[in-house]
Amino acid sequence: MTLRELEADLSSPAAEHRTQPVASPASRASGAVPLALREITKRWRKDQPPVLDELELTLEPGTATWVGGRNGAGKTTMLRIAAGLIEPEQGRTEVWGVTARENRTRYHTLLSFLPAGDRGLYARLTVRRQLVFWARIAMVPKARFEAAIEDAIQAFELRELEDCRVDRISMGQRQRLRLAMTFLAGPEIVLLDEPLTSLDGEGAALLQQAISELLARDGALLWCSPSGEQLDMSFDTRWELDSGRLVRA
Amino acid sequence: MSDAILAGNAFLAVVRRDLHIYMSYRSRLVSQALTVVFSLTLFYYVSRLVNVRGFGSHSSYFGFVVVGLALISVMYSCFSITELIRQELVAGTFDRMVLSPFGAVRSVIAMTLFPMAYSFLLAAITLATGCLLYGLSLHWSTVPLSIPVMLLVLVAFLPFGLLFASLTLVIKQGNVGTSWLIAILSIIGGLYFPVTLLPHWMQTASELQPFTSATDVLRHLLVGSSLGEAVSPALLKLTGFAAVLLPLSIAILAAAIRTGQRRGTIIEY
Repeated sequence: MTLRELEADLSSPAAEHRTQPVASPASRASGAVPLALREITKRWRKDQPPVLDELELTLEPGTATWVGGRNGAGKTTMLRIAAGLIEPEQGRTEVWGVTARENRTRYHTLLSFLPAGDRGLYARLTVRRQLVFWARIAMVPKARFEAAIEDAIQAFELRELEDCRVDRISMGQRQRLRLAMTFLAGPEIVLLDEPLTSLDGEGAALLQQAISELLARDGALLWCSPSGEQLDMSFDTRWELDSGRLVRA
Repeated sequence: MSDAILAGNAFLAVVRRDLHIYMSYRSRLVSQALTVVFSLTLFYYVSRLVNVRGFGSHSSYFGFVVVGLALISVMYSCFSITELIRQELVAGTFDRMVLSPFGAVRSVIAMTLFPMAYSFLLAAITLATGCLLYGLSLHWSTVPLSIPVMLLVLVAFLPFGLLFASLTLVIKQGNVGTSWLIAILSIIGGLYFPVTLLPHWMQTASELQPFTSATDVLRHLLVGSSLGEAVSPALLKLTGFAAVLLPLSIAILAAAIRTGQRRGTIIEY
């Protein structure tokens, strides 16, 4: 099933129970977009050219965007800035028109980020405890708490692993857990940095399903991976990051 | 559900996480309990060996030093936050805290709770071992009063933990001088021996910081030793110390995180 077919499937009434409440009508009415990077400039050393040079990017509701580029082009830096992990030298990043500095809690409630690699997990915690912990610090409301964890376990097929410690599961299983954490709180904007790392075909299909559900509820996706990577996915927009700026791919 | 309740649940989740991780190392408590036993054994025989001016008997010095040792274990636990932060940085889990609605500042504060609760347990083990193995005589009628005083001491230690956590975030190392501070506080705080044995200038330093008088109060409540000064001024000094330093240390922690985000070093480890 392709991404678009999945989206069509998810727009059916039967799929409604799977979708989660999203944005803020007020934000949508204001004409703001889910995510906007405006004139972002970042340099790591003053004597070197910027890794991001007045970069502009907006994500529209219900769209999937891909950004590629060679190794070291600045994709991860762009995602980290978009996520609010690090700050740009110049420019601003907005989630529905609001920056992380203006309302940090709201920014991080609406946006979720999967960093590249296999870090960000507690090796000695079980899969379920990891999810419960993340749901707590994501401040998922009580009414959705149990369902959010169960949905995450189900969506990424972690049922058999829920009582296993993270240091005793495979890299691909860890990646599924990291993805489950990314989608757990029902974010509106999802940033994925090389999400296929260690995933097998089945894991990739589960990710596609989660993305389809995100898009079906008018969420926005930003996916970064190196140019040339084989992706069995369709994107609404494709960009290449080159010399600090985005060009149409 | 209000944000306050969600934040409270997040604080508890951090404590539960630290408990689960601690419990996953099954031999850790046994190992630390044995360290307490060895330490008490050493000081029990030292107390038999030496005659210190101001102590009526060997037992009274042993009682004095057991409370000091309990406080040292409290200090070590409180300052273990630096190693915890270092582990979070290396594991990449600190990034997740920064990106969570709960936030990095509250997460770091929450990370101090389990070590503080654990330090209570270690202090209790120290006192119990002293009683059971070496005949330490506790002043049971006032022991319950030592609990709120101990809590106050922990709150007063917390700013140090947060300041060291801030330093760890900046320089990315766990060993940021905590052992030096513990050594200094144990000397000028009179944890091993009375501060009256120190040179005059060190006695002045001892009087300026609040831990000496707090230790005196705890000794008075736990083993019935005499007090150098009245209880109320000692506790007021400790409260004032915490009231000034706690908000300051939280502000410094927030600034350290913010600086890391601005310079991009928050992702380094």
